[in-house]
Amino acid sequence: MGTTVTKEQNAEAAKAAADNLNARFSDAGVSTDVVAHKGGMKYDFVRITCSPDQWIGVAKHLKHELGVNHCAMVTGTHYPSGDDGRGWEVAYHMHRWPITNVKAHTMIVHEGEKLKGDDIPMEFEIFIPLPAGDSPSVPSIQDLWEGADWNEKETWDLVGIDFEGHVNMHRVLNPHDSPVGFHPLQRQHKIRYHDYNEMYDDPQGFGRKPVDEGRVK
Amino acid sequence: MAEMWITMGPQHPMTHGLWTLRVKVDGETVTDTEAELGYIHRGVEKICEARDFTQITPYCDRLCYVSAMTWAHSYIMAAEDLLEAEVPERAEYIRLMAAEVQRLASHLMWLGAFGPDIGNLTLMTWCLRDREMFLDLLQELGGSRMHYNYPRVGGVKRDIPIGWADRMKAKVKLFENRINEYEMLLDESTIWLVRLQGVGYATAEDQLNAGVTGPNIRAAGVNTDARWTNPYSVYDQVDWEPAVEKPTSVKGADCYDRYRVRMEEMRQSCRMLLDAIEKIPGGANTHYQPGDEMILTKAPTRAPEGATGFSTYECTRGVSNFYIQGGGDGRGKNPYRLSIRSPMFITIPYVAKTMIGYKIADIPAIMGSFDPCIGETDR
Repeated sequence: MGTTVTKEQNAEAAKAAADNLNARFSDAGVSTDVVAHKGGMKYDFVRITCSPDQWIGVAKHLKHELGVNHCAMVTGTHYPSGDDGRGWEVAYHMHRWPITNVKAHTMIVHEGEKLKGDDIPMEFEIFIPLPAGDSPSVPSIQDLWEGADWNEKETWDLVGIDFEGHVNMHRVLNPHDSPVGFHPLQRQHKIRYHDYNEMYDDPQGFGRKPVDEGRVK
Repeated sequence: MAEMWITMGPQHPMTHGLWTLRVKVDGETVTDTEAELGYIHRGVEKICEARDFTQITPYCDRLCYVSAMTWAHSYIMAAEDLLEAEVPERAEYIRLMAAEVQRLASHLMWLGAFGPDIGNLTLMTWCLRDREMFLDLLQELGGSRMHYNYPRVGGVKRDIPIGWADRMKAKVKLFENRINEYEMLLDESTIWLVRLQGVGYATAEDQLNAGVTGPNIRAAGVNTDARWTNPYSVYDQVDWEPAVEKPTSVKGADCYDRYRVRMEEMRQSCRMLLDAIEKIPGGANTHYQPGDEMILTKAPTRAPEGATGFSTYECTRGVSNFYIQGGGDGRGKNPYRLSIRSPMFITIPYVAKTMIGYKIADIPAIMGSFDPCIGETDR
């Protein structure tokens, strides 16, 4: 049998992490919940929503108190028609895994069922809503997790979120001479066939109708 | 001697794809490096915003042509989280077997490409020979040789064909012996050992902090594997244990450890396959028609605004993540935003920095031992 982390361990660790965060940050307005996945094995994870100026404090707490050691991904989203409070959003996904350095010629073989406390693997999802405007910006966590470095570069490159304090920001996926201010995942940039349902019948657009006027093809 | 910059790539055998490694050298010693990516950026995330949840699967196949099955499954897991789909247990077993056969094929492609880097061309011909066996198995499932478009939200496209189980068992048993042959070829080869041992050290904590996961981190002596830390599918019901290697130095795992851990991982995949085919509900030599409730459940096709899905999946090169937001075009038929975390996108810049201090001749060994794949890096 393969080793695994049981549902009880997972629920216990998620609750402990959420309680810890709530005790420390709920007065400041950071909301923390335990959320269950809706697919797969329906394990719990911790979802945090905070504002950009609270983010560094929360991030340091995650790293140093809760043992979060892997910054998996940074996702920026553009909501041009969103509410006033949210024109952009940055989502961070992080993991906690029981990983430590080993001595030469030794190894650590964890048995999932026996892990306790902060050793139990856990997922963290952090949402940071940003106000609408032309210059969305959050503080960089590049110096806390080295893995956030290229994730932040990518998010700036594709979505145009500024990461304050990020050292050596440059284009990574788009051409290096892309125009300043061009970030293709912003919603004003349409690709072919967005909102256009005849793509398969009429790839070259010869049969366009007046109703399609102005749509991108 | 004056330092100078050398450009390796975008056309260079070391790169295993299309990217550029700029190397600053002092004589033969590497003193600084810079990775330049993005040569084959296709904008998959943007394209997916204009596709519905079934149409996205083939794009995710094409993220990495060496490991299409695992990438498609990684996406499907996030889509199921978003759409609240249930998966029948037989389908979970089929998915597990499909992913593990793909892992064998992918590691064989890695080993086959790594051999010529080190100066062992025999290895490539042997590995590609064996990889064909597993591609044939996957072809029987998905219908094509490399891009299978196999998983569906709520199950799989087709059941395993009659006789697949026997062919798979025969091939896996044959391959278990072949792994020993490979090890005889490689571990007795002085060139192989001299070029791999003692170069490219990386410790577990450094790698994880930099975002490196998967076999590369298990080579550094920790058995962390998303297949048990973030459980999914039926990995808790089949017989296996994560491959892990004892690093040879306090400085962490070297290239040789990373080679060893992948060999062990192939053995574990074989073990898992042989066990899963015995335990599959509904029988190994039964074929349910497409759409049968044993292999596919009906799932919603639209997701409301504000719903999110997230998956953590052990791909062949590390942990891949998908994050999907519902409520896009077509009244929620498309995702509003789909974001992909590729393990190699984070690993390549890290590997570039670990090369500092080694010789130019070590660069192919170090880079190759981390198993780069540029399709998933650039997306």
